[in-house]
Amino acid sequence: MPREIDREGVRRLVDQGAQLVEILPPDEYREEHLPGAINLPLRQLEERASEVLDRHRAVVVYCWDSA
Amino acid sequence: MTQAAPTAGCATCERAIDRCELCDRPDCPTAVCYRCLAVALRQATPQPHDHGG
Amino acid sequence: MGFTQVHDYVAGKLDWLAAGGPIEGTGAAQPRAGGVARADVPTCALDERLGEVRERVKAAGWDACVVVNGERVVLGLLRAGELDGDPGSRIEQAMRPGPSTFRPHVPIAELAHFLVDHDVPNAPITTSDGRLVGLLLRDDALHAAHQAHQAEGEEP
Repeated sequence: MPREIDREGVRRLVDQGAQLVEILPPDEYREEHLPGAINLPLRQLEERASEVLDRHRAVVVYCWDSA
Repeated sequence: MTQAAPTAGCATCERAIDRCELCDRPDCPTAVCYRCLAVALRQATPQPHDHGG
Repeated sequence: MGFTQVHDYVAGKLDWLAAGGPIEGTGAAQPRAGGVARADVPTCALDERLGEVRERVKAAGWDACVVVNGERVVLGLLRAGELDGDPGSRIEQAMRPGPSTFRPHVPIAELAHFLVDHDVPNAPITTSDGRLVGLLLRDDALHAAHQAHQAEGEEP
C-alpha cells in the first residue's frame, strides 16, 4: 500500500533520489508535468514498472488531484 | 402577484444557480456555476476522470 | 509491482501547480495568471472606512482594491462601483464579498476569454489557501494572450 505524502514530502524524496511517475494520459503529461517525472499511464503501470523504474529507488506516483 | 426574480442555469451543466459565478449577474446569458468554471480553468478535475492507459 | 518504497502524492499535479511549483512540458512556457497579475494592487482591511480607502486607491492610480485580512487572505473586492459608495461606510459593508478567485497556474488565454465573455474587468489571483498573489486586469490578460499567440505563430 503506497504511503501518502504531501508537496514537501515530494520535494524531500526527489532530493534523495526518488523517481517521479505521472500516471495521467500521455497528452496531459506532455503538456505539463513535475520536473523530472516520467509518464506511466495507470493502466500500464503494473506491466511496465519493472522495465522502466529502478526497483532500488523510492517511487512517487501522482495524478491530477485526489479525485 | 409578484414576479419571481430571474434565475440562471449553468450554461455548461444546466445546474440551477441564481447567478453567474464569474460575473455575479443573475441574467448572464452564459452563466457558469462554480464547478464548471473551476473545471474549465483547470482548477478541478472533471468527473469521471480517466487515468489513461 | 515488487517495489517496497512507493509513495502517493495524493494532492497531485493540481496541488503542485496551485502552489506555483516548477513544471516541464509543452505548456510550461505559456503565460499564466500568476505571472500577469499585478502584485501592487492596493489592499485594505474590513474595518477601514470607504472614503479613506478610495482616496488611497485613487492616489495610487487604481480603480480597484482587494480586501484582505492580516494574512493576506482575500475577503472581498472593491471595483469602481463599490468605491463610489458612501465614504463613511465600513469596507465590510461596501465590498463585494467572496469574489471568484483564480489560481496562479491558470493559463492566461483561457482566463482572458472568460473575462471578456462575461465583461469582468479584473479578478483576484490567489494561492490555493486563498492568499492574494495579485489582481489580474482584463486588458493585461488580453495583451499577454495576444503576445503568446503571436509567439506561437512565429515558432518554426
